[in-house]
Amino acid sequence: MTTDHDGVRELLGAWAFGALPPQEEKAVPLHLGECESCAAEAERLRETARLLGGPRGTAMINGSAERGGPSPGEPEGLLALALRSRPAASRVAPHAAPYAAAVAGLQALLRELAESEPSWATPVVHDWDVHATVGHLIAADEPLARGLGLDRREPVTPAAEDTPWDVAWNARTADVIAYERQRTPEETVAAWAAQAGALLATPEALDPERAAHALTLMGIRLPVADHFLVRAFETWIHTDDIGRALGLAVPPPPGPHLWQLVRLAVHILGMALGTTAPPVLFTVAGEEGDERDDTQWVLGSEDEPVRAELVLEAVDFCLLVGGRYAPDEVPRGTSGDEAAVRNVLERAAALSWL
Amino acid sequence: MPVEQTLHEYEGASADAELRRRLVYGDESALTEAYAAYGGLVRAVAVRVTHSPAAAEDVAQEVFAQLWSRPYGFDARRGSLRTWLSVLAHRRAVDWVRSEARHRKAAHADDSALQAIPDAGPGPDEAVVDRERSLLLHTALAELPRTQREVVHLAYFAGRTYRQAAVELGIPEGTAKTRLRSALRKLAESLAEPPDPAWERGA
Repeated sequence: MTTDHDGVRELLGAWAFGALPPQEEKAVPLHLGECESCAAEAERLRETARLLGGPRGTAMINGSAERGGPSPGEPEGLLALALRSRPAASRVAPHAAPYAAAVAGLQALLRELAESEPSWATPVVHDWDVHATVGHLIAADEPLARGLGLDRREPVTPAAEDTPWDVAWNARTADVIAYERQRTPEETVAAWAAQAGALLATPEALDPERAAHALTLMGIRLPVADHFLVRAFETWIHTDDIGRALGLAVPPPPGPHLWQLVRLAVHILGMALGTTAPPVLFTVAGEEGDERDDTQWVLGSEDEPVRAELVLEAVDFCLLVGGRYAPDEVPRGTSGDEAAVRNVLERAAALSWL
Repeated sequence: MPVEQTLHEYEGASADAELRRRLVYGDESALTEAYAAYGGLVRAVAVRVTHSPAAAEDVAQEVFAQLWSRPYGFDARRGSLRTWLSVLAHRRAVDWVRSEARHRKAAHADDSALQAIPDAGPGPDEAVVDRERSLLLHTALAELPRTQREVVHLAYFAGRTYRQAAVELGIPEGTAKTRLRSALRKLAESLAEPPDPAWERGA
């Protein structure tokens, strides 16, 4: 126990704030009784702390405000007012929920930019700044919007009937970005948000049965429900790009959404590898603290014994598939045939459909 | 800024990060949880500064509106949500009192600063003086360096011992103790100084 002069003097701040653990409380008065200079300092600090707590002893001096829990009042009213300051993620069917959340997440990030104008020109990926990246997302959401019967939007890109989808897509995204560059970032964000909102308001976003039919978009044929997941994936990846460029940490999608994306990516990777690739036992590891067990798949041929094992974390796997990791850079655990593992990693990175 | 040695991983850090994640992605239930956990603290901080339950209600609403609308403003790597909300509530409350004082000044141009303090009903002179000194102190607290301010918030408003505050801030206990004492000494000195002329003008 501290009873010496220097030790007690160090404690006086915590003592005056009532922030000493019980076992240390006794040392202070014992010493103050025999040391005038510490007693004077203690009195001055205690009086200062008292005034912070408010006059007339109306407020607690030492008590914990939290122990009493929230004071009465009307939490519902207060929260309802607070919630008006930003729309929540749209309420949609589970297959569209990750996209709704990703849209809310990008809107939240872009609010940070509205406060400081120059950051719209911050370089993000490829040769896009923040403004152009949002423009790119308008173009990227467009095929699904058109597929679900939403109106064509400006500008119009002429394309011949037999143009390959990727050529047409590159022309389209370039046109949209060039068009958006003529507008203010706010107009571009509003256009992106309006299209996203329209997608989330379609019957296909609200009703799983309406989203069961397949559409071929961007060269890949998937149920509409999965196309919504692809939109969530790309929106998150670009939000993460923008966050990195701005130095703001973008959290990965909430756990259940992240796993919806993982399952879709594994499915697409499996299709890309085909049924003759050397089989690899592929494990996607849950996030730390996530109760969900790690999930495993066998990728490649089903007729041969497994040649190798590969373990990736969920977020890393998504970033690899999203083209944000090179195959040899992604953190991983492996064993067995290295060539078989490399084949899987390279095929995953080559998907980079974003 | 020097990198602080992290002695203990604050146990709430991952819970804070998870709450932020849900706030970022527009999950309303995350705001409800944040309010259930910290609504009491936020109101209590605001009442201490404003002495007005109605003002504290407004401050609490602003604080939770900001958490909801600007979730990126809170960075779980830089501190706990408890500290962040407490500091934000305090700053908003001090702003409220200043603005209130300004309005009263505008209404009674020749009133003294003493009478500019809100709710200064008839009472003993001593209480009125206390009110002014309390406001001076809270203004000074809001202007302390971040590292000192945070430990004061935890030890004082949130009722943590200096040892618990050290764990939550990831700093050595001795550092927490020293920061509390330095902070309080600085606040005591601010009482001895004449009021900030800028504040007197209502800036």
